[in-house]
Amino acid sequence: MPVSASSRSVERLARPLPAILPIGLLLVAGAFFAVNGFASARNLANLGLQASILLMLAMPMTLIIMSEGLDLSAGAVLSLCSVVMAESLAGGHGIASALAASIAVGLAFGVANGAMVSLLALPPFVVTLGTLGIAEGASLVLTEGNAVSGLGSGIATLYALDVFGVPFPLLVALATWLATYLLLHYTRFGTYVFAIGGNRDALVLAGAPAWAYHIAIYAFGGLVSGVAALLLTGRMNAAHPTVAIGMEFDAIAAVVLGGTSFERGDGRLLGTVLGVATITVLRNALDLLGVESSLQVVSIGALILLVIVIDSLRKSRRVQTA
Amino acid sequence: MMSGAAAVRLRGQWRHRLAGDAGALALRAALILLIGFLLALASDAFLSTANVLNVLRQASLIFLLAAGLTLVILCGGFDLSVAANLTLSACLAAGVIKSGLPPWLGVATALACGTAAGAVNGLAVTLLRLPPFLATYAMLWILQGLAFHYMGGQEIFGFPPGFRALGTGFLFGVPVPVYLMAAVLVAATVFLRATNFGQEIYAIGANPEAARLSGIPVRRRQMLVYMLSGLMSGLAAVVFLARVNAADSGMGEPLLLPVIAAVLIGGTSLFGGVGSVMGTVLGAIILALVINGMNLLDIRAQWQPLVVGVVLLAAVMVDLVGRGRRERIG
Amino acid sequence: MTRDANDGGGSGQPASPVPLLALRNVSKTFPGVRALDDVSLELHAGEVHMLLGENGAGKSTLIKVLYGAYRADAGTILYEGKRVDIARPADARRLGIAVIFQEFSLVPFLDLAQNIFLGREPRRLLTRLIDHARMHREARAVLDELGLDYDTRALAVDLGIAQQQMVEIAKALSQRARILVMDEPTAALSERESNALFALIRQLRASGVAIVYISHRMQEVFELGDRVTVLRDGRRVATLPAGEATPDQLIGMMVGRAVGAVYKRRRYGTVGKIVLDVRGLTTATGVRDVDLNVREGEIVGLSGLIGAGRTEVARAIFGADAIVAGEVQISGAVVEGGPEQIVARGVALIPENRKLEGLALKRSVQDNLLVASLWKLFPRGWYRAGAAYRHARALIDRLRVTPPAPRRLARVLSGGNQQKVVIGKWLAAGCRLFLFDEPTRGIDVGAKSEIFALIEGLVEHGAAVLLISSELTEIVHVCDRAYVMRAGRIGGELARAELSEENILRLAMHER
Repeated sequence: MPVSASSRSVERLARPLPAILPIGLLLVAGAFFAVNGFASARNLANLGLQASILLMLAMPMTLIIMSEGLDLSAGAVLSLCSVVMAESLAGGHGIASALAASIAVGLAFGVANGAMVSLLALPPFVVTLGTLGIAEGASLVLTEGNAVSGLGSGIATLYALDVFGVPFPLLVALATWLATYLLLHYTRFGTYVFAIGGNRDALVLAGAPAWAYHIAIYAFGGLVSGVAALLLTGRMNAAHPTVAIGMEFDAIAAVVLGGTSFERGDGRLLGTVLGVATITVLRNALDLLGVESSLQVVSIGALILLVIVIDSLRKSRRVQTA
Repeated sequence: MMSGAAAVRLRGQWRHRLAGDAGALALRAALILLIGFLLALASDAFLSTANVLNVLRQASLIFLLAAGLTLVILCGGFDLSVAANLTLSACLAAGVIKSGLPPWLGVATALACGTAAGAVNGLAVTLLRLPPFLATYAMLWILQGLAFHYMGGQEIFGFPPGFRALGTGFLFGVPVPVYLMAAVLVAATVFLRATNFGQEIYAIGANPEAARLSGIPVRRRQMLVYMLSGLMSGLAAVVFLARVNAADSGMGEPLLLPVIAAVLIGGTSLFGGVGSVMGTVLGAIILALVINGMNLLDIRAQWQPLVVGVVLLAAVMVDLVGRGRRERIG
Repeated sequence: MTRDANDGGGSGQPASPVPLLALRNVSKTFPGVRALDDVSLELHAGEVHMLLGENGAGKSTLIKVLYGAYRADAGTILYEGKRVDIARPADARRLGIAVIFQEFSLVPFLDLAQNIFLGREPRRLLTRLIDHARMHREARAVLDELGLDYDTRALAVDLGIAQQQMVEIAKALSQRARILVMDEPTAALSERESNALFALIRQLRASGVAIVYISHRMQEVFELGDRVTVLRDGRRVATLPAGEATPDQLIGMMVGRAVGAVYKRRRYGTVGKIVLDVRGLTTATGVRDVDLNVREGEIVGLSGLIGAGRTEVARAIFGADAIVAGEVQISGAVVEGGPEQIVARGVALIPENRKLEGLALKRSVQDNLLVASLWKLFPRGWYRAGAAYRHARALIDRLRVTPPAPRRLARVLSGGNQQKVVIGKWLAAGCRLFLFDEPTRGIDVGAKSEIFALIEGLVEHGAAVLLISSELTEIVHVCDRAYVMRAGRIGGELARAELSEENILRLAMHER
C-alpha cells in the first residue's frame, strides 16, 4: 500500500492532538464567556506570565517522558536553583554569575538523575523522588526555611522588562520552546530521544552511545530549571525554598494532556504547549470562580487519569513496530 | 538416628538459610546496633529510657505506614500515595471525632477511607492496567487535594484522652504504638508466610507471568494487597493522629520518603518477590534512629529531607547491587 | 514452482571467480554443544545463496558469526580473498555485511529517512544541525533504487510489517551493503508482499549484491535461489546449484541424525478416552482453524517449523492467549477463560521459555514446586512450612532433582533440573493433561532422557500429553502419533507407522 505525501503531513500534525484540542478549546471558550474577569487584558497578560515558568519546565519534561522516564524532582530543583541564585545576588554578585551558579546546580541534579536512570537502570520515579528530597532538603538548609530577599532591583527589573512589547519572561519561555524544538528535530540528540523511548535497542545496534544521550535528556531538564530560576526569582524578587515544589505535577500534566505518550517515544511539543495553556487557563478560571487550589489539583489529577486511559486505548488500536 | 550424609545435608541447609533471608535480617540488626553504639558515643541523651522508647514509638509510626507498602512492593507493585492516604484518612477521622461522635467511629472512618483509597489504586492497576507508579502518583495528588479541601486550611486539634492514648500512651512502660507494631508485624508475617495468599503474593512479585501461567489469580491478589495497604494507611493515620493530637492537610507529606526508605533498607526489593515485613521493622528502626540522631545532635530539621533522600537513594542502589544488575546494553 | 531460466544468474554459476566472502573451516563451540563444526562456505557477488537446515542445525549461529555478534573459535574468513577478522558488528558493517532481522529495528515515531540514517545522520558543516534536506534526498534515492514509492516523511509506525521490512533493506543498502543476510523474511508476509520482496531481491542480485537467504519454504528455494547450502548438526552437508537439486534430495540431506543417545519409548500402552478436543481453534496470534485431540495414555506430538504456530496453539488451549473462534474441550466439557480456570480443570503448561514463564528464579525450588498446588495441599489456606518442605522433598526425590535442596534458589539449578522443577510443579497439582512446549531445549543429553522417562511415566498413569518439539527425532521416537503444523494450520497428521523425519519435514515445508 503506497504511502502518499500530503495525507501523511496532515495526519502527522493532527495525530496527537485529539485529546487536548477539544478539551482545551472548550475550556478557553468556557472561561472566556462564562468566567467574570477572565477576558480582561490584565488577566490575560498575567496568564502569560504565569504560564512562562510552567512552559519552561514542561519542555524538557516532554523529552523525559518521551524517553519513558519522569522527573519528579523538577519543582524542587527549580526551587533550589532559585535559592542559589538569590543567595548569590544577595551576596552582591551580578545577575550573570548568579545565573551561572543556578544553571550549575540544575545541571548537577540533572546529570545525577540521568546517570542513575541510564547507567544503573533504576526506576525514574524512585530516583527523582530521592533527588526531590535532596533538593528540597538542600533548599531548606541553605535558607533555614526563610525566604531570601535583599536581592537589589536588578532581577526584578529584568523580569518586568518589555522587549519589543513582549514581556521578558514570555520571551525566555518562547526561546526555551524554540530551543527544545530545534534540539528535538534538528539534532542527533533529539532524534535519539525518540529512539530511546521507542526502540532503544535499535539505537544501540546502530552503534550510538545510547547511555550518554539518555543522561543528556535529564541533564537538559536540570539546565532549563537553572534558567527558569531566573523567572521565578525575578517574579517575587525573592526566593522561597519550597515555592515551586509541586510545579512538576502541572508540568507532567501538561505533557500528558498534550498527547505525549509514556511508552512509545512519541512526543509533540506543540501539544505540551497547548497543555500548559490549558492548565494555566483552567487554574486561572477556577481561581476566579473561587475554587480553591486543592480541588484544582484534584481535577487535574482526574484529568490526567482520564487522558492516560484514552492514551492506552488509542495505543491498543495502533499498528506497532515490534 | 541420623546418617552422616543426612547430617551434612542438614548443616548445609542451615548455612544456606543464614546466607538467605535470616542473614539479611541479621545484617540489619547489626547495623542497628552499630548506629545505636555510635549515637550513644556521640550523645549522652541517647541511651536514656525515655529516648529509646521515643525511638521505638517513632519507628512504630513509620512502620505502620510502611507495612502496607511492603506488601504492595512484594507483590511487584508500588504505592506513592500512602502518605497522602494517611493525611486524608486522619483528617476525616479528626473531623468525625471533633464533631462529637464517638472516637471508635473516627477510627472506623479512617480505616474505611484508607481501604477505599487503596481500592481505587487497585482498580487503576488491575482493571485500567495503569503502571503502578503513575496511577498512585495521580492518586497522591487527588487524595492530597481532597484533604486540603476538607480542611480548608485549618487545623483540627484536641482529642479525647482515651483516643490520644493510642498514640501517646504507655502500657506496662512500653508505648502503645509499639504493641500495634508488634501486632501488625505478627499479623503480616503470618499472612505472608503461613497462608496461601502470602505464597501467591511472593510468586506474583517474583515473576507475574509465571504466576499467571501457574493458575494464580494475579489481579485478584493485586487488588487485595492494594486494599490492605490502604487499610494500613488508615490504621497509621489513627495512631499518628493520636500521637500529634492534631490534624492538618500537610501531616502525611514528610512521611513518604522515610517510609519508602524504611521498606527498601529493610531488604525488600523494588522489583518484587523478595523481602519481609520483619525487614521493614528493622528498616523503620534504622530510619527512626537516623532522625533521632539528627535531633540529638542538634542538626536542624531542614536537613532531614536531604538526609532521608540520600538514604533512600543509597538503599535503592544497595538493593540493585545485591540483586544483580538488570540487563542493559549500551 | 516454476523457474524462469532468464532470471539473473539462472544457470547457478557465480558471476565472478573470486568469492566475495569465504568462510574456511569455521567452528564455534558453546559449553556442551558444537554449534558450527568446520564449516566452509563461499558467497559470490550477484547470487542468492539459500541456507537450509532444520532448527538447531547452526544457521543462526552462522549468521551471528557473519555479522559479528559471535566470533568464530576456529577457521578463517576471507573478504575478496583477503583475511579479515569479524570480532564485532562494526567490523561486519565496515565490510558491507548487513542483516535483516526478524524483529525489526525501526524507531516507531521517526520518519523513514531518520530510520534509514539512524546513527549516521548527515549534519550541516557549520551548525552541526541535522541536514534534513540531504537526509531525505539520500533516503529518497535509496528507496527509488529499490523501486519503493514510500514517502520519506512517513512514520515507521504507520507502515505495515512488509513495508517495514523493505525499509530495513533500504537501511542496509544505504550502508553500502554488499552482502545481505535475510532470516526467513517472508515469515510474516502475504503472498503478494512476498512477491514484491522477491522482485526487490532479484534487483539487488542483478546489481551485484550477495544475498544469504534462510528459508524453510521449498518454493522459495527454487524460485529465488542460485545455490543451496544444507547445514545439519553444525556441519555443512552439501552446496549445490539450485537447478540441480530436488526437494526430496534436500530434505534427505537436512534430516538423518548422527548416531547419538536418542530416547526410545519403552512401550506404547493402551489409549483411553479423549481428554483434549480442539475444534476450529483460531486466535489473533496466528492460529487458523486447528483441530486436534489427545487421549489418555498417549503422547501426541505437535511438530512443525519455528513460527508455524505450535506454541500459540498450546497457549490458546491453556487460556494464556485469547481465542477468537473455535472451542477447546477438556474431558468432554467446553472450557473458557484464563489460565486460572484451565488449571482448575487439571491442565498443565510447561512453557517454551522456562526461565521467563515457567519459574520464579529468585524463589526457592520448594516455592516453585508448590506454587500451582497450594490450594490442593492446603485447602483451608493455611500454608505450613513443615508440610510444604516434606512435599517438596518428596517431589525432588521422585524427579531426582540435583542438588536435592528444596531451599536453594531455582536460579542456581542447571537447565535440566530447572525443567524438572517446572514439570514437578504440575505433578503436585494432579494434572491429567500436560502441554509440553520444547521441554528438552537447551538441556544436555542425560537430562533429556530423564525428562522423556518422566513424560512416559505420566502417560503410563493415564495422563494425556501434547508434546511440542522442534527435534524431529524426538517426535518420531517418543510419540504415539503427531500433528504437523504449517503457517498456523494443521498441515497433516501422521499415525505411528507414518512417523518419520522425512514425512514430518515434508508436511512442515509447504510440500505435499
